[in-house]
Amino acid sequence: MSESATTLLRAPEESGGPLPGLDRNAVEALVASGPPWLGQRRLEAWRVYEETPMPTTKEEEWRYTDLSKTLRLGELRLLPRQEREFAPEGAPALLTGSMRSDWAAAGHVVDLDGSVAHTDLEEEVARKGVVLASLARAVETFPELLEAHLATEALPASSGKFQALNAALWTDGVLLFVPRGVHVELPVRVTRWFSGPGRAVFTRTLIVAEEGSRVSFVDEALSADFPAQTLVSSAVEVFARRGAHVQFVSLQRMGRGAFHLSQQRTLADADAALDTLNVSFGASVARVDLNAELRGAGAHSDMLGLCFGEADQHFDHNTSQDHGAPHTKSDLLYKAALDGAARAVFRGIIRVHPGAQQTDAYQTNRNLILSPDARAESLPNLEIEADDVRCSHGATVGQLDEEHLFYLMSRGLTRAQAERLVVTGFLGEVLSRLPLGGVVEKVSGIIEERLRA
Amino acid sequence: MPQNEVVQDLGLDQYKYHFITEDEPVFRSGRGLNERVVREISAQKEEPAWMLDFRLRALAIYNAKPMPTWGGDLSNLEAVLDQIHFYVRPQEKMERSWDDVPVNIKDTFERLGIPEAEQKVLAGVGAQYESEMVYHSLKEEWESEGVIFDSIEDGLRNHPELFREHFGTVIPSADNKFSAMNSAVWSGGSFVYIPKGVELRTPLQAYFRVNQEQMGQFERTLIIADEGSKAHYIEGCTAPVYSTESFHSGVIEIVVKGGAHFRYTTIQNWSNNMYNLVTQRARVHENATMEWLDGNLGSKLTMKYPSCFLVGEGAHGSILSIAYAGNGQHQDTGGKVVHAAPNTSSQIVSKSISKGTGRSTYRGLCKVYEGSRHARSNVECDALLINDTSRTDTYPYIEIEEQEATVGHEATVSKVGEEQLFYLMSRGLSEDEAMALIVRGFIEPIAKLLPLEYAVELNRLIELEMEGSVG
Repeated sequence: MSESATTLLRAPEESGGPLPGLDRNAVEALVASGPPWLGQRRLEAWRVYEETPMPTTKEEEWRYTDLSKTLRLGELRLLPRQEREFAPEGAPALLTGSMRSDWAAAGHVVDLDGSVAHTDLEEEVARKGVVLASLARAVETFPELLEAHLATEALPASSGKFQALNAALWTDGVLLFVPRGVHVELPVRVTRWFSGPGRAVFTRTLIVAEEGSRVSFVDEALSADFPAQTLVSSAVEVFARRGAHVQFVSLQRMGRGAFHLSQQRTLADADAALDTLNVSFGASVARVDLNAELRGAGAHSDMLGLCFGEADQHFDHNTSQDHGAPHTKSDLLYKAALDGAARAVFRGIIRVHPGAQQTDAYQTNRNLILSPDARAESLPNLEIEADDVRCSHGATVGQLDEEHLFYLMSRGLTRAQAERLVVTGFLGEVLSRLPLGGVVEKVSGIIEERLRA
Repeated sequence: MPQNEVVQDLGLDQYKYHFITEDEPVFRSGRGLNERVVREISAQKEEPAWMLDFRLRALAIYNAKPMPTWGGDLSNLEAVLDQIHFYVRPQEKMERSWDDVPVNIKDTFERLGIPEAEQKVLAGVGAQYESEMVYHSLKEEWESEGVIFDSIEDGLRNHPELFREHFGTVIPSADNKFSAMNSAVWSGGSFVYIPKGVELRTPLQAYFRVNQEQMGQFERTLIIADEGSKAHYIEGCTAPVYSTESFHSGVIEIVVKGGAHFRYTTIQNWSNNMYNLVTQRARVHENATMEWLDGNLGSKLTMKYPSCFLVGEGAHGSILSIAYAGNGQHQDTGGKVVHAAPNTSSQIVSKSISKGTGRSTYRGLCKVYEGSRHARSNVECDALLINDTSRTDTYPYIEIEEQEATVGHEATVSKVGEEQLFYLMSRGLSEDEAMALIVRGFIEPIAKLLPLEYAVELNRLIELEMEGSVG
């Protein structure tokens, strides 16, 4: 990180007093600064957080990821929301470099340490009523929209310990609202930078796509390596109303030392298409909980994920596909390539609820083990309570196929080149399923860069 | 369809096993499980002190372990267990000739077709009635080869060293709550030893019958297949239908030594008021093969996951599981394969059919330990749903610590297709016949591995069960 970047991102503890911990006082400070409805919601969420025990490996959903032993919540400090300006000239090269490599966008958000420092939106798009805003400011400007959607139907505090903690302590985030029938052609790009070691950042994203609208949202999280444990908690709520098309992409490129917990819920109404892609490259421990609910007839969700782990990285992707209405379709593909002593856990469940007839639900998890110390756990589950369905799932764990390597080497490639090509092809299959401008190129570039290292 | 008389009486008809034999047991323990019951069982069997110690330690483990919260609904089980008799001794001693078995018990097994089958197709037969083996016999040609096929009690009595060397080594008491329970109160079951290089041409069969109301059956079987041997063991289970619930919890331990080949077939057709919680595991040594063929058709709830621990290089494990869950039934079944040596391979194939309010659950584990280089495992599960109230679940666990391993899992869920039905009906089949034909085709890959008489009966059962299932 450059000198100027450190200056830009200097946190107030260096000038002011010590930062608060994750406690009731911190919640009360947030309650005091917001409207009553939000205050009540935060206090209730804190109550749920305190009442919910820390998950251990005895719980099925946490069987292979023991945060109760590794995550030291008591040592983390909160950074209150700050008014900040984003100036590209002084920003860290990783942040500006990543933004520069993005293709054209309909709008941008830059989030620095959990406070939105910049938003812009194409004039034409804004004129149609699309809103792209800091969530903290939207509490004042769009109170009804937020009261109706924030931590209510999608990710209420009752969904789990970390969902509750986020609902109690979030400082800022992003609101994207797309009115009925409006098509936003270019994606909206959010870039987040996290700088302070030992901190906990709680951020939320709320996307509401009204009937027949279309929008794509790409959210990238970046940081350098941290010398101390650092937590980024991200809650994502996506509503796709009847016939809306929404693409949500998360690129996680945090440094070592980071614990990245991302809780996501997507709700697809009738005939909506709500697709997600989760790309995990970074962090020491990265956990994604994604629940996709298909709650209207004809709803469709493609759910894609890839992760590339090395050293002692630990990835845990916990997905669920809930079919609650007839004629719904979901198709999941999660892939992991694992080098070093990296570990990937995939737990996915398809639930077809009674009455959800003519459902198609698929789930595939593939793991490529590149080193003797890497390991993978895969738990692809099905719970089917309707009879007229087509469901299948598959999971594999394997190593590089010697025959593929041999073929490529017989064409003149070195072994290293052949291996790179096979891994790129393995992960590339996921990207080919969500051909979103710029994302495929960016992610492919990162994979190749890592393979060369 | 080929049929013969043996077939008629052996098998799996729609619940034809509901008949109650009127008799008075010679001894029955009080209701519920406690130390006194455990000591009584041990005393009745005149066991060595080490076995009583083993039982009492297991009881302490059982009491310390919580009731599982996964799998089927066990919320009512504690209440059921408080009411059942853990030990019911039907007669004074085990017999080696049917003529000596008390008449009413013999009648029971005759109605089940066991003595007849013994003459025609089996190498040996064991019959358990309530808590004890009432009959055990082995054809002389195998006895002279050194094969041991005896009740577990006689195994302990007559072959103490062989017994103690292996007993409890494949499934320790502390493996799970019900293995602990069985270890405390086990009674009945078989002790089998197949000497080096001996190949049994026809199967051994054990038959388990629960006749009394509110009793628990806890058979314990220990099988040692010595190097290069080959054998097939079949167990069948039935009980009358009572309004109260009964309980069956067996422990089956199998040691398959180097190069041996052992197949264990279960055709479980308990009445629909039976909790059936069984632990079955084989330790498979170098270049040996273990095959579990597990058919679960009866019971209220079955939780059973036959396992292969592949501990020797080149060991192979195979689990073929077929489950049928009708109204009110939950078949929570599957299999476990644990790879702990290089070049080991395994395969699990599971087929389930859920009808009415039935629920079939596949639950499985594939674990590959580090160092099990070139381990290969493949799991395939197919579920067929007959009605819109039927349910199926698939819960496979895949845990891989070894880079050079290849593991795959595939599952599909489907309903009988309208087009398939239409096609068959346009060829002149009734709807029921068409349905039965499709279901038979679905289970065929497993049914064809069953001994003929079981395969035929299984098919007939499917036909009966599919009657009136459409619409």
